[in-house]
Amino acid sequence: MLRMDRRFLASFDWVLLFLLVLVCVMAYMNLYSATYPSPGRMPPYLKQGYLLLMGVAGILFVISFDYKELHLWNYPIYVLTIILLALVIFVGNSAGGAQRWINLGFFQLQPSEPAKLMMVITLASYYSRKETVAGYSLKELILPIILMAIPFVLILIQPDLGTALMFVIIFISMTVLAKLRWSTYIILAVSGIVMTVLGWFYVLKPYQKQRVETLFNPAHNAMEEGYQILQSKIAIGSGGLFGKGYMEGTQGHLHFLPERHTDFAFSVWCEEWGFTGSLFFLLVYFFMLIWGLNAAMSAKDRFGLFLAFGVVALIFWQAVINLLMILGFLPVVGVPLPMFSYGGSSLLTTLLGMGIVLNVRMRRFQTESSLEGCDD
Amino acid sequence: MWDLKKMIKSSFLKELGEISEYDQAGLDSLRRRILSVGLIVLFFMAIILLRLWFLQIHKGEEYKNRAENNRVRIREVAPPRGDILDRHGKELVTNHPSFNVVLVREDSNDVDELLKRLSVILKEDVSVLWERIRDAESKQRHIPIRLKENLSWDTLAYLETHNKDFPGIRIEVFPSRLYHYGDMAAHIIGYLGEISKSELEISSDDFYRGGDLVGKMGLEKLREKELRGEKGSDSSEVNARGFEQQLLSHTEPIPGKEVRLTLDINLQQAAEEAMDKDERSGAVVVMEVKTGRLLVLASTPRLHLADFEGGISTKNWNALLDNPKHPLINKAFQAMYPPGSTYKMVTALAGLARGVITRDTTFFCPGHYNFANRDYNCWKKGGHGTVDLHRAISESCDVYFYQVGMRVGVDVLAEYANKLGLGIKTQAEIEHEKAGLIPTKEWKRKAKGVKWQDGETLSLAIGQGFNLVTPLQLCQMTATIANGGKRHLPQLIESVTDADGNVLESFKPKLVGELQAEEKKYLAWIRAGMVDVVQGARGTARTVRIPGITIAGKTGTAQVVRLEQYKHLREEDIPYKYRDHAWFTCYAPADDPEIAVTVLVEHGLHGGSGAGPVAKAVMQKYFADRIAVEAIKQAVMQ
Repeated sequence: MLRMDRRFLASFDWVLLFLLVLVCVMAYMNLYSATYPSPGRMPPYLKQGYLLLMGVAGILFVISFDYKELHLWNYPIYVLTIILLALVIFVGNSAGGAQRWINLGFFQLQPSEPAKLMMVITLASYYSRKETVAGYSLKELILPIILMAIPFVLILIQPDLGTALMFVIIFISMTVLAKLRWSTYIILAVSGIVMTVLGWFYVLKPYQKQRVETLFNPAHNAMEEGYQILQSKIAIGSGGLFGKGYMEGTQGHLHFLPERHTDFAFSVWCEEWGFTGSLFFLLVYFFMLIWGLNAAMSAKDRFGLFLAFGVVALIFWQAVINLLMILGFLPVVGVPLPMFSYGGSSLLTTLLGMGIVLNVRMRRFQTESSLEGCDD
Repeated sequence: MWDLKKMIKSSFLKELGEISEYDQAGLDSLRRRILSVGLIVLFFMAIILLRLWFLQIHKGEEYKNRAENNRVRIREVAPPRGDILDRHGKELVTNHPSFNVVLVREDSNDVDELLKRLSVILKEDVSVLWERIRDAESKQRHIPIRLKENLSWDTLAYLETHNKDFPGIRIEVFPSRLYHYGDMAAHIIGYLGEISKSELEISSDDFYRGGDLVGKMGLEKLREKELRGEKGSDSSEVNARGFEQQLLSHTEPIPGKEVRLTLDINLQQAAEEAMDKDERSGAVVVMEVKTGRLLVLASTPRLHLADFEGGISTKNWNALLDNPKHPLINKAFQAMYPPGSTYKMVTALAGLARGVITRDTTFFCPGHYNFANRDYNCWKKGGHGTVDLHRAISESCDVYFYQVGMRVGVDVLAEYANKLGLGIKTQAEIEHEKAGLIPTKEWKRKAKGVKWQDGETLSLAIGQGFNLVTPLQLCQMTATIANGGKRHLPQLIESVTDADGNVLESFKPKLVGELQAEEKKYLAWIRAGMVDVVQGARGTARTVRIPGITIAGKTGTAQVVRLEQYKHLREEDIPYKYRDHAWFTCYAPADDPEIAVTVLVEHGLHGGSGAGPVAKAVMQKYFADRIAVEAIKQAVMQ
């Protein structure tokens, strides 16, 4: 099973790997600065080091088998993830009023993170098995909607609105790519609006509503919710053209910036490296995503295409939401910047996802017969 | 096992092969769609870059400044509030430190457990402490939350010595008000309370922060600007956890200014204690006749100031609202009463000034006066016989004043009432002052829509009917009569002094009205009548006499209702709320007046017996030295 075809090595996407490594290096540097000085036996940068090693192992594991095998493992993975999500509600560790983690001893697993990747695999599998020319009808969407709704609800009641919404966004992205009938678009759009309105009045907790309201008037309660956004803007803005220099950021080091190594990690980067550094990072990051789309386009079949596209969409939307949030365009919803924000579950999930993209890319020339060959 | 897996796998892949027939066309269409997705990615990247450019380049300098300021925390240092003294410099209200327990959530890792232990020490229920925390939930975690105020010394000492056991708990020193004379003059002094949202919004200067204490009533409110002082500040470099890295600068607060009142607290105390006897509800006003200084401004029942500190509870507030004696109202100027017979001075002055009567004009009083087929009674059923002005005042003959009132008419009465300060606000520095009511023909047409009846003038002439005055107005009127026609502004502030001893404001008498020379002449005749109210053999307030001091005054009874069903009852059997109000207003010494004293006792029945003793107690206190000297003289002569 682990036997490697030489052709795989030849078609391995070294550019994507390089971009990936570059982003991880910048993230690691930034983490070190954001958490400095970090006391304790297990400082975050050390932990992040172990996680990166685990991530490398994970990537190697993912590219070792044909991505088509994921078809087979799709439902076991789905069921396992749902069990973990249900488990988190009963035995999860809480922090900040939400139950999101399961303690695995060496690692606090946040099951909602791998669940995102699971969603990509599930939808890719479904849409590649059901082909369409005219676009999907509503009836054909019932199953994927249910498959999406189950983890969505389980995560919403943790409560973790930001992550839950990611499931909807992934679903929309992949479904729209798969093509819908016009009537289906309209029905989904209308019911989406109705659900949002109902959700606002009956599901959202007061603090979540406040976050949305804060967005429209951040200076109003500067000491409370708007404080985070304001501090983030001050940190970013004060970076200027060239920044204050690595490890020299004052807003981060004096602890004004909240969540400075997780959700607001990029604010620290902006403060220390200025507009030039931010520009460099964003060019690398978005080039990596575009390259990922390229990988999706070059996939040899629908499953590969949907898989790679789904992973890229997952990373892209999280990145956009996180960046718009720290720049003061969106409410503080707790969505990380993939690979840049500190957080083991998110990092491992993203790296495994990138492993899938590499896998799809690597096997782009492969034919049916060589699949047989791979299988021992 | 392995076979099973292989079997499933091969069947699955076969099926897969059938469904996903290699469909180049469908795949190409998907690829084209992905290409357009690339545009969406570029679009968002452009937005993010533009925003970064805006924040870092366009607004970069501005944010650099803000980042600089961000690192400096300015902690305000509350100034000690100014003291309030009485006219002789006796301390009425000063500050004393109050020790509060505060919790800094960030420094405590287990608030739940901490509060459990703390509740035992503070003797406070855990739920009460949690309530405080919940109220401040939205604040940042490094901002202290006050858990309990006014710690006892024992609790304070315990917490200070065991501070290691209570992480996150700190002791905060807070200046709080100390009332040296308890609730004396409570209505006038007022109290402090936490600033309300609306007060914060309307305050024009940038002085207040949420949680600050401000004057809510009385002089604490009226003189807030002087009493509050100027805040000092400590600016220090801090991190967001609130750990102060280093002190950058320090500005001392400027203490509030000392406000010295014209009140004489001993006299105030005498007045209030006299009112407390028989639980009298009403007001006492004492004014310096020649200056307008207010020496006493009392209203009973008193407010209990301690109840108001830190916000009054709903229970206490409702109890105050439901109290039939209305303790919330300062009866000295926020309540209005018919002046009763004390108004006869106005009628007399109007009659004399208009030439309707002279000092020697007499009327016959048979005990009633018939007008328009109706009998208007004199309080003395048998009648006073033939009375002149002097007797009419000293014995308070109603029939005499019916005649005078009818002859001058309602509008002339109103003119002289206004000249003596009735029906208009005194403009003293007090809150919610009532203007009273002095009716005219035009007023009745406008307010009631009906024509003035001449019979109503008769009631008016003896102070009943529509007439309404406040005790403060009546005291001012008495002083004006006593000093020969000069109406002074009643004032409460003797001086305002800053912390360096500079006097910023000091008392100056202020004339707000003066009678014409002719009119002043008539006052002497009225005063002579008033002397015999107390000193005369048949005066209505003979019980008020004090040996050695000549007092001039006038009693009054303000009818509350005139109900037939109570007519046959003895006065003590009439329900409290239907009993008449009792007035007594006077000045002394009669030959060279110094003070005017006005007493109103709600439902006190008769001026002489209901209100007189209170005025007497006040004057005994004021003239204590002279009374003592007089007593010695008497003893020596015997």
